[in-house]
Amino acid sequence: MDYRNTLTTCTYCGCGCNFFLESLDGRLTGTIPCKTSPVNEGKLCIKGWNVHQFVQSEKRLTKPLMRKNGELVEVSWDEALDFAASGLKAVKEGTGPDAVGFLASAKVTNEENYLMQKFARAGVGTNNIDHCARL
Amino acid sequence: MIDRVKQKINELLSGGSVKGVVALANANGHVAPCLFQKGDDLQHLSLGDRETSGDARYPLNKVLTTIARQYPDEVFGVLVRGCDERGLHILFRLNQLAADKVVPIGISCPETLALQCECKKPWPDEMTAGEKSQGVAQKRVEAAEGLDLKERFSFWTEQFSKCIKCYGCRDICPMCFCKECSLECEDLVSKGDLPVDIPVFHLTRAMHMADRCIDCGLCEEACPADIPLRLLYKKTSKIMNTEFGFTSGMNKNEISPLSMMGPAPKK
Amino acid sequence: MSELEDADTIFIIGSNTATSHPLVATRIFRAIEKGARVLVADPRKNQIAAFAHLYVRHRPGTDVALLNGMMKVILDQGLEDKAFIADNTEEFEGFKNLIHAVSLDEVSGITGVSVEDIQTLAETYAKADKASIVYCMGITQHTNGVNNVKSLANLAMLTGNIGKYATGVNPLRGQNNVQGACDMGGLPNVYTGYQPVTLGAANKKFAEAWGVSELPSKIGLTIPEMLHGIEKGEVKALWIMGENPVVSDPDANHVVKALEKLELLIVQDIFLTPTARLAHLVLPGVSFAEKDGTFSNTERRVTRVRKAVAPVGDSRQDWQIIQDISSRFGYKMEYDSPETIFKEIASLTPSYGGMTYERLEGPGLQWPCPSPEHPGTPFLHKDGKFTRGKGLFHAIGYKPPAELTDEEYPFCMTTGRVYAHYHTGTMTRNSKSLDFEVPEGFLEMNPADAEALDLCDGHRVRMASRRGEIETRIMITERVEKGVVFMPFHFEESNVNKLTNPAYDPIAKIPEFKVCAVKLEKVS
Repeated sequence: MDYRNTLTTCTYCGCGCNFFLESLDGRLTGTIPCKTSPVNEGKLCIKGWNVHQFVQSEKRLTKPLMRKNGELVEVSWDEALDFAASGLKAVKEGTGPDAVGFLASAKVTNEENYLMQKFARAGVGTNNIDHCARL
Repeated sequence: MIDRVKQKINELLSGGSVKGVVALANANGHVAPCLFQKGDDLQHLSLGDRETSGDARYPLNKVLTTIARQYPDEVFGVLVRGCDERGLHILFRLNQLAADKVVPIGISCPETLALQCECKKPWPDEMTAGEKSQGVAQKRVEAAEGLDLKERFSFWTEQFSKCIKCYGCRDICPMCFCKECSLECEDLVSKGDLPVDIPVFHLTRAMHMADRCIDCGLCEEACPADIPLRLLYKKTSKIMNTEFGFTSGMNKNEISPLSMMGPAPKK
Repeated sequence: MSELEDADTIFIIGSNTATSHPLVATRIFRAIEKGARVLVADPRKNQIAAFAHLYVRHRPGTDVALLNGMMKVILDQGLEDKAFIADNTEEFEGFKNLIHAVSLDEVSGITGVSVEDIQTLAETYAKADKASIVYCMGITQHTNGVNNVKSLANLAMLTGNIGKYATGVNPLRGQNNVQGACDMGGLPNVYTGYQPVTLGAANKKFAEAWGVSELPSKIGLTIPEMLHGIEKGEVKALWIMGENPVVSDPDANHVVKALEKLELLIVQDIFLTPTARLAHLVLPGVSFAEKDGTFSNTERRVTRVRKAVAPVGDSRQDWQIIQDISSRFGYKMEYDSPETIFKEIASLTPSYGGMTYERLEGPGLQWPCPSPEHPGTPFLHKDGKFTRGKGLFHAIGYKPPAELTDEEYPFCMTTGRVYAHYHTGTMTRNSKSLDFEVPEGFLEMNPADAEALDLCDGHRVRMASRRGEIETRIMITERVEKGVVFMPFHFEESNVNKLTNPAYDPIAKIPEFKVCAVKLEKVS
């Protein structure tokens, strides 16, 4: 029996509300707004209240997909990661680092954005990195 | 008070009479609903008082219902205040929880909280810790009744038009458990637009809660538009009391006058 | 955010606060309860407008004209804060000369707002003791978005409503971690904490920390520039993490064409989005509920994201995916957790310098937080202090939007959000309760326009701009005025961004989502 409430920050708008994701035996069962959060004081909008619903959706991507003969087919992580690394390398060596572009994201964490820009700049050698701050 | 509660939880868990205890815990600099099981550290136990008494209360009976649905054969303890205990009485009667599978751990509310809630009975019948404080008169309701009908109507219309339709009043409510919710019935309430239908949305819920609301106040605290929902439900409860002499959950065995189906069938 | 509660006047422009930032609306409702006056200017009469002391409906894209009109009234009546201007600002004369030349009758003609209303707006705002401005994408998503923002700054400086408690110009960030993505250097011109890539010292500091001999110092490409680069064959590979430009970017047909031209398109996401469907490689990352890390909200508050459940299927932590590709690419990364990455961020970013995961327990910290003892900074520009020394007035004249209505495209179309959905709908439309609430896209239309086109509520229309066409259901409402239509952009099957104008602001590169010209036709 594993019942938990995990305190986290909402993935939707810039308010950044805090709530508990309620889980029972590994399944998300609900969202409970955090009453002691200075941001939302125990309140949420309709999106926040239902945020647990999409996480374990059957439509989630569960395996890497690679385009083969025009179709996206499941492949192993090894194959996917090698394909990405060698593909990026080929473009960099063929045309130069500025032929590679990166879209970071307003939906992933600070740590992940940091790592992507670090790879773009220090790994590939380009400042071609942006995200949809403007949308 | 908290030491007495810890002692009780410890007894229940180590004696094996319950599988777990639903209560509150300090975690990550906040207070969270928690299931304590055998061997868990009770150091983190919280009664939901942070800066002020009862400011970090959560719908523990709702948490218990979620867990009990998955584990119907296990017995659980649950931390209850006066309102929560009234809630348990109704949840037992409506077959959402089984009385023989729940061990309430009752605590009373201090006077400050009782005054803030204008609680009629700020203590549970079965009390593990705390001192009874006085029941409080319903001044908010009386003040609202002092308004004439026109003023009342415009007051509520303005309050309801702030609603952003988060359904938080329903989602936080320890007494809301219907699989099909009348607020999502399109013949009753139109969907897909803001503001919500006034006053249908809120009055539908008020009617639905008339014999269920235990006056815990969590709905009002969860409302992002600060709509005085507790006042609305207090008034509805008062009508039930005046007309039928009924206060939901106050009497363990009393059947709601609105329940046309009669009592639950005996096993 | 909670400061807003104590403002005595709140001017909301270009923000549908109750829908898009509900918890900010909470504070506005509380301020109203305490007696604050609320002024709302928006082409669309949104929910919060019903509570306004004064609501004005200016035409889409005429914000600068409206604001200049307000400032004209303030200067004419001598309501400006002379002491604040003298002590804390520069370039006031040039600005004043421009405003003097403004004619209120002309402003009224351009905006559609009466002279009397402009006067009331200006007087109410200027006479307030503590006036806050709240704005959102309705201000920024224009070809003159930067000028709109600068005009709001002018207004706040003119009346001394900046750098004091419960005042200021408060932008609401659209997406949960826009602030963080910017803070982390997810931009073509800066490293973390807005340290310029062009600055020798910053460049050198990061090169050393990252163990490379040199880092590129040329400013990189923005999204619209990358799309141009792809068309010209200069950009050949693109790695997209957690974004869906096919639905979120303007002129969607054009975006698709560009992405199809790439030699290598890698998309890292949690659902098979329309963008992912075009990829050569799709990498399954994890949702916020399956990862540890931090987000930075609209008030610069950094709080923790914590893993609640195990990742679904074979999906992997996004940081691990980047690390593995980087290492295989030849640039070795060896982090063992998001916390290790955060430590590196703090060591290289002065504004995050005093933050640790341990200190982020509880309410979190607002940057700048430069040292371990620093309590964080709830509001910037305290006591009239600006980052650049003094506040600069900008003389800004009104310019019309990039695309105006004409005989062929007679309707002005504007886009936005609905309460139950978020952005391109990838997450919310996969949520049962939210999909139930608003299952499909729709177009808001004024009753007079509907009658002229012989349309009833729920009828379908074909809507076309110079860039594309879509079909959708209509909703008849007086929220929009005659000649203006509104459509939310969450719905890929009626993707309104096939129509929107990719023309963008020359400085911020923000596309003009809020104004384009369309024609409408009933679908029989």
